[in-house]
Amino acid sequence: MKVSSCCWRLTSLAFTLLFLLISNISFAQEAGDSEIPSDESVISSGETLFNNNCRVCHAVHEQVVGPALNEVYVRRPLPWLQEFIKNSQKVIQGGDEYAVNLYNQFNKTEMPSFDFSNEEVLSILAYVKSETEKGPAVAQTTDAAGGEGVAAQPGSTVDSGFVTAILIALLVVLVLILVVLGILISVVTKYIKQKSELNETDQEIVDQKFSLIKLAKSPGFIWIVTFVFTAIVLKTVIDGLLTVGVQAGYAPTQPIAFSHKLHAGDFEIDCNYCHTGVRISKNANIPSPNICMNCHSGINKVTGATESSKEIQKIYDAIENNEPIRWVRVHNLPDLAYFNHSQHVKVGGIECQTCHGPVETMEVVQQSTSLTMGWCIDCHRKTEINSQGNEYYDKLVELHSETSKDPMVVEDIGGLECAKCHY
Amino acid sequence: MLRNNIISAIVILVIVQIFSSCRAKDDHPGVEYAPNMYHSVPYEGLSQITDESEGKWLSSRIDEKGEYFNTNVNNPHNMNMREPVPGTVKRTEDGYLPYRIPKDSVELAGRILTNPLDSTTEVINQGKELYARFCVHCHGENGQGDGKVGVVFKGVPPYNVGRVKDLSEGYVFHVITMGKGRMGAHGSQVSYEDRWKIVRYVQTLQNQN
Repeated sequence: MKVSSCCWRLTSLAFTLLFLLISNISFAQEAGDSEIPSDESVISSGETLFNNNCRVCHAVHEQVVGPALNEVYVRRPLPWLQEFIKNSQKVIQGGDEYAVNLYNQFNKTEMPSFDFSNEEVLSILAYVKSETEKGPAVAQTTDAAGGEGVAAQPGSTVDSGFVTAILIALLVVLVLILVVLGILISVVTKYIKQKSELNETDQEIVDQKFSLIKLAKSPGFIWIVTFVFTAIVLKTVIDGLLTVGVQAGYAPTQPIAFSHKLHAGDFEIDCNYCHTGVRISKNANIPSPNICMNCHSGINKVTGATESSKEIQKIYDAIENNEPIRWVRVHNLPDLAYFNHSQHVKVGGIECQTCHGPVETMEVVQQSTSLTMGWCIDCHRKTEINSQGNEYYDKLVELHSETSKDPMVVEDIGGLECAKCHY
Repeated sequence: MLRNNIISAIVILVIVQIFSSCRAKDDHPGVEYAPNMYHSVPYEGLSQITDESEGKWLSSRIDEKGEYFNTNVNNPHNMNMREPVPGTVKRTEDGYLPYRIPKDSVELAGRILTNPLDSTTEVINQGKELYARFCVHCHGENGQGDGKVGVVFKGVPPYNVGRVKDLSEGYVFHVITMGKGRMGAHGSQVSYEDRWKIVRYVQTLQNQN
């Protein structure tokens, strides 16, 4: 009896140990895995919770602010996760080794506390698990970005393609007409030769052979060639002289190959975001690297690329070495002319593109308008004053409407006075 | 006779070529008329010529450098612009003092800061305009974090759900000014008053359904 009870105790102890061991192993392998629900409804409510609370700092397949969450339920046991999500600081201050390491690894960034129930944490984990099992969707995102790039292009290519198509069609028509005329002539000469009796001069004309040299020596041809040549020469010379002192078309290579098309065009970042001086100062200002870093702290490669961009690396280098980036100035008015951005943009409400052209389509910025005095004057003659809600103009508008029925343009309030810009 | 003609034609073509090269293209800024008027004698803030020999052919400078050389050699990195002295306080029209709450004290800012601007339609509309300039590319038109940059940048929260919905005005102001998490500090880009206007508009987005 004693022996048997002893045996029984031993076996039960062994069983308990075995059970503990097995459960421990399974615990270590799967942690809370088995407890995570896989119902569609739980996953979708977890997705909402994740998007509303976690997405700010976490992604499933990549490290954002916090660590990537794929297989987090394997790495850590469920109770630990629940405790950490609800109050991470408590776990860290409690001295949990893993938590403290994590905290130090992520530059002591505090994860805020979340007032979730255990079920809510489970649903979030259910979503994370379902996403983990789906695998990273890298191809999808690059596709989407590539699609965007392709979608953004046609606007320009269609236009030029259309024009070339028309030109080619016209050329084909002209050649066809020439061919038809040639055939007509040969048919007519043949017909005349066969049928009618001709006098000598007419016979001469009909027998005449087409000769290039004769044509080239004919006074008419020489006159036309001389005329065309002189016209082209004169036009080029005059055009050339007119561009002296006008920098339209200047598109210098910049120290960093910054693309306005990508930033302002594809990503629709407002001009004001970087050119912060434009509403408060004479100059629109070139952004300092800290403004670049608002986004490029997290973005170091072109969408779809696998390697980090060399051009973006130049910003990091400039900041690290505390060196200025020497951008090359594109638009430049001589000192003799005063121009103020804030007056035009803030008060006048002029769009940037009015003077700078379609910058949001330019890979390399180029000066697209002439910036000559005639160009300024022309605009001052045409542009109506933006007097709405601006008390400064009230009296002027009143005075102007007494003498004229036309809307008040810049010219009417002294916009053509020499001393407005030259002083 | 023919040879003379050909020579004169070539001469004319060369002249044409010279005149057509007056035009600005790519790195070539074009031929300048009265270059002394275009190149500034005083130091220019946003354009700088660092090559000492540039414009030497018409130089009248006593230091024998090129006429166009425009670089303040006494500044760090030879920059023309100079940073303000450390600790400089910006004087503003409305007397706002510099913002002193440190970056990591966002909870404190959330508790103690209040918006000096009332929630009027005018302020909210101005805030909306500013939001469109400075925020929309990441946070999206309705504050859903779905702006074109936000999608690529990742980690942009929607305003009207979860924890973000209940953040106080001071908290939002502090985050705009100093940045938080992945968001950078925007205090250098947006003025004090404009930031409070944006806060007013962001609050309407927090309270949307």
